[in-house]
Amino acid sequence: MFANKSIDFIWTQLMLLTLLSAFIAETADTGLAVIIIVAVTIGYKGRMIVDHFMELINANRYIRISMRLYFYVIPLMIVLAYLFPEAIVRMTTLQ
Amino acid sequence: MGRNTGSQTLPAQSHVPGGWPIWVGIFSEMTEFAMMFVIYFIAKSHYPELFNEGPTKLNTLAGVLNTLVLLTSSYCVAKSMQAIRRDDTTACVRWLWLAIIAGAAYLLIKTWEYHWNETMGISKDTNTFFTVYYYTTFNHMLHVGWGSAAVLWAIFGVKRGSFTAQSHGGLEAVAVYWHMIDLAWIVIFPLLYVLR
Repeated sequence: MFANKSIDFIWTQLMLLTLLSAFIAETADTGLAVIIIVAVTIGYKGRMIVDHFMELINANRYIRISMRLYFYVIPLMIVLAYLFPEAIVRMTTLQ
Repeated sequence: MGRNTGSQTLPAQSHVPGGWPIWVGIFSEMTEFAMMFVIYFIAKSHYPELFNEGPTKLNTLAGVLNTLVLLTSSYCVAKSMQAIRRDDTTACVRWLWLAIIAGAAYLLIKTWEYHWNETMGISKDTNTFFTVYYYTTFNHMLHVGWGSAAVLWAIFGVKRGSFTAQSHGGLEAVAVYWHMIDLAWIVIFPLLYVLR
């Protein structure tokens, strides 16, 4: 029963977070705060799906760590790309 | 030994859901999507105005609806796994059909969105933002298409009696692959529709 309730609860959370993202998209001007909220939302949603829908919370630790890491690295890249676009341009421009 | 959580017994610790081969595929696909995200970050840094303006021209409603139906389909697949572990094949098949209906809804919404873009004069050649948008979303759409076909195969497998409470590795492989498709969209949606 716990597992059933848990999945139902996680689905509800994921739906609400998606609606929050949509609200942000339609109303807020992008700034660092919005970027951080979006990055944290991606990380949290990814973690919930990896742990509970994929059931990796109780599975092989290498797969679990790799999948969780993906949802730490991508949100971090979003924040870094916002903070340091000039550095990315410098690194990716042919001289 | 499995871990008992109420009425559900999760697989034993160190279990590889679906077996190693599907994870080779999943990690390959996740790498492919990661490369698309890196291209997005590079292109956005080079053309900030196009990437600030691009999302405002997209149909946000279509993006939100697609996120909701994909999350729901993932939820249905997770419920189907719980059902097969109870040996409740009827419920398992029902949840898998609901997942396919959600997948089909995604494909219909995406087709409508592409048509809407066309009427608004948006194409892959409009500018760099839309080239990235079309390449990423069309690639993802293909994954939803063949993922849905895999779920359909799983339904026939359950009906044939190929999957039981004791042996359902093939169904588990389809389930984790379907969740991977959902995970990719979890990143694509905010990058293309929310951030500007």
